[in-house]
Amino acid sequence: MEAANQPLLRLRDLSTDIALRRGTVHALDQVNLQVGQGETLGIVGESGSGKTMTVLSIMGLLPTGGHVVGGEILFDGRDLRGLEDKELRRVRGVEMGMVFQDPLTSLNPTLRIGAQVAEPLRVHQGVSKAEARERAIEILRRVGMPRPDKIVDDYPHQLSGGMRQRVVIAMALIRSPRLLIADEPTTALDVTTQRQILELIDDLREEFRMAVILVTHDLGVIAGRADRVAVMYAGRVVETATTAELFRSPRHRYTEALMRALPESAQPDSDGAGRLYSIPGLPPDLSRPLTGCRFAPRCQFATDECRTTDVGLTPDGSGTGHEFACLHPVTGPVTIAAASPSVRTASEVSDPLLTVRDLVKEYDAGGTGVRRTAGRVSAVAGVSFEVGPGETLGIVGESGCGKSTVGRIVAGLEAPTGGRIVLDGADLATLDRGARHRMHRQVQLMFQDSYAAMNPRMRIDSILTEPLEIQQVGDAGARRARVSELLDQVGLPRRALERYPHEFSGGQLQRIGLARSLALSPRLIVADEPVSALDVSVQAQVLNLMRDLQRDLGLSYVFISHDLSVVDYMADRIGVMYLGKLVEVGPAHQVVRAPRHPYTQALLDAVPTPDPGHAPSPDTTIRGELPSALNPPTGCRFRTRCPLAQDICATEPLLQGATHQVACHFPLREEPPAS
Amino acid sequence: MTRYLLTRLGQALVIVILVTLITFVILHLLPGGAARAILGKEATMQQIAAFDHQMGYDRPLWEQYALYLRRLVGGDLGYSFQLNQSVTEAISQRLPKTMLLSVASTVLAVVVAVPLGVVQAVRRNRWPDYTINGLSLLAYATPIFFMGLMMIILFSQVWPVLPPEAPQGFTLAEVLADPAGLVLPVVTLAILTVAVYSRYIRSSMVDNLNENYVRTARSKGLSESRVIVGHTLRNGLFPVITLLGMYLPALFSGALVVERLFNYPGMGLLFWQAALKRDYPILLGVTLLISVATVVGALIADVLYAAVDPRVRLRAGRA
Repeated sequence: MEAANQPLLRLRDLSTDIALRRGTVHALDQVNLQVGQGETLGIVGESGSGKTMTVLSIMGLLPTGGHVVGGEILFDGRDLRGLEDKELRRVRGVEMGMVFQDPLTSLNPTLRIGAQVAEPLRVHQGVSKAEARERAIEILRRVGMPRPDKIVDDYPHQLSGGMRQRVVIAMALIRSPRLLIADEPTTALDVTTQRQILELIDDLREEFRMAVILVTHDLGVIAGRADRVAVMYAGRVVETATTAELFRSPRHRYTEALMRALPESAQPDSDGAGRLYSIPGLPPDLSRPLTGCRFAPRCQFATDECRTTDVGLTPDGSGTGHEFACLHPVTGPVTIAAASPSVRTASEVSDPLLTVRDLVKEYDAGGTGVRRTAGRVSAVAGVSFEVGPGETLGIVGESGCGKSTVGRIVAGLEAPTGGRIVLDGADLATLDRGARHRMHRQVQLMFQDSYAAMNPRMRIDSILTEPLEIQQVGDAGARRARVSELLDQVGLPRRALERYPHEFSGGQLQRIGLARSLALSPRLIVADEPVSALDVSVQAQVLNLMRDLQRDLGLSYVFISHDLSVVDYMADRIGVMYLGKLVEVGPAHQVVRAPRHPYTQALLDAVPTPDPGHAPSPDTTIRGELPSALNPPTGCRFRTRCPLAQDICATEPLLQGATHQVACHFPLREEPPAS
Repeated sequence: MTRYLLTRLGQALVIVILVTLITFVILHLLPGGAARAILGKEATMQQIAAFDHQMGYDRPLWEQYALYLRRLVGGDLGYSFQLNQSVTEAISQRLPKTMLLSVASTVLAVVVAVPLGVVQAVRRNRWPDYTINGLSLLAYATPIFFMGLMMIILFSQVWPVLPPEAPQGFTLAEVLADPAGLVLPVVTLAILTVAVYSRYIRSSMVDNLNENYVRTARSKGLSESRVIVGHTLRNGLFPVITLLGMYLPALFSGALVVERLFNYPGMGLLFWQAALKRDYPILLGVTLLISVATVVGALIADVLYAAVDPRVRLRAGRA
């Protein structure tokens, strides 16, 4: 960390407006920030807080209609707002670099990697084509790209998401920038890849002595990587402090609420289930004039003074640079880790509701493309598990591991290639069409993106009535009553029925999605990443609701997610999948706190923890990429990346154990004796 | 790739055969008949019967079709009595001229439409966009014969700089010898195409300019023109390939209205006259040619797509 007398970048009262057809959104309101050379500033906040608009304002990349309307952007002492277009482009292209959120779409699909990476050199420094290529290979090697001399001639679609993000980073670094801006650089990536990318940015910052701005919604990512943190809410910075200080004693009530809403800080309640703290309400509409503290309407400590006085950032008096804008700040420390691990009473799987045996799903590769590739993709390869009544089975794994395919097969949306699914004692394969149709009532699916999963031209009324009509449940009057009852259950007002999906927020849509899956009174709901698209505070609301409904209705859940902390909070038992195989399954608290499979351990270590003191052990890092499911490794599929792999791993390990099962020749731990 | 091409060619063959069958049946079910058309109103029943017998028109339809197919395999498209020349000859005389007209107008249209569409996309919802949009809507809505007439009135009557009639000539060389005569037909045909193409290019460019990769390009400090020409244009032009593929049959069939209007001796005029005179062999031959062009055009568009878009070219594995 540098003592920054003269910060490299300083924002002074930066205000940005975005003109839309129906009014102007005041996206940023007098934002003050600074970053010194060699320092990482983290900006956290929920969607709409203005964190991305802040960095886009700095880069001059605001979307159509966006304008900086006030304040200064001082870069190395010069106000970027006063610069000529040409000079501004040079600063942007040479002295700054930016890494974007979605690596899959931030590269030009029809240009070769090398040409894209070296383009700044060609444009700003007039480097020759041959030299540009050499420099591109060099920088690609530096960001850890395997075979850079080959990749330089590839096209983006030939690379995985993690590899593409390395390309974007290489593109930003090739001009040796003094400021690197990373806007949610790992949000679209798996945790093991996320860890590799964040470590890479850290290393490069030291090597190139850059200033880094890391924008993220993930407190865990910030805790591990940033020197200082700025918390944003509704277009303003509400608190800024060194990372250690912020996590030790957050002062602003919004910061506190964010931390309390994390699944890690679930407080056990009477039935041992634990509830999450959720922030009521929604962020304010920034197109209207606002007075007072913007968090006041959602704050339980707010007084009339909060609603009328404009509160500015004030130092806390400790001299550490800790500033906050709150009239009733937090006084005590906030602990994130749960007081006691939330041990849910693991129900005995005596008479399972759902039994899946040796489930196999293979897809034909290729198909209708210009080039046909022979071969079959092994998406799910012999997966077996049970789900008891009222139980939640969590399935975790990285993208491409087959967890969603399992969910879709269980919900009857796809037919398995092999294996058996027994629901409530009836083998689905032996049922005739009509009986299978009726079976759909028992199992329903809840989607990640509820907006995409709803017909935008149907009112909520029709969306919720449709399953009842298809299954011919009751008459029109009974259906109306049922739909109203569903809305009550998910905590939405009756008048929601007359509205269309686009009129709702993400959290509300997820409630509607849940209501739709509940319409037929199913016994099992397959929830595929139900909260992945939501902000922490809203995620807490939805998770609490899912738990309440489970308790009241005796539902079973198959809860599919890539987020281990969410699954840990929700599930009784957890199954870990890797490349189509279930590698470990057991009681949630055991799998998360005493994993037996090396992959589970690596996955757990890669999850960033919202605790700045926590240092991940370097020896469990797994490197490289998920192998192709087209030609999966023989034997244990994890052996190509496993630190413990030996010759015997070429033979397939079986899932062994009583309640905490693992498919590994060298399990990390013995199974604890059954209590 | 080879296997894919073979499959596509097989499909194309089936389609072409089906098209010949359908045209054959429909043409022979039409009342009147070829004999009456050739022998005239005064022909007696005996004369007609004799003609039909000589031409094989009295045999069962399926037999006639089989005979037609057999000759077709041998490369014989039939003989037109009205024109007193073989169908192959009639087509090969006119096809080059039609292709000259179509290719020239398409090239002109693309050359004009691409910059127009790009300007519209870059200045969207501002006056250049509105102006071009209005004009292209006007061009799109104007019937082509009216447009042609206006062109003739304006450029050969009011301001007589160009001849109102297309060059008449048997060979391509003769037609080319009189380039001034080609201007009006080519431009008339191009105006409509420009209207269609520029709208496609505009919307495709607007979509692409909103893509994340454009933001990445801007973040490198590139000038706006480099962002547009170097990054967006190539991706924005993909729809044009599909359009061009769909346009291939029109290349062969000719522009009926324009050829009539300027009296240009191309395929359109040939087909028009044959339809009036019930010249079955010509009608069949031209239809066959157009159907072949249609399926080949679609095929070429797909292959072309694969050539310019690396995602299609190298798509391997998963759907």
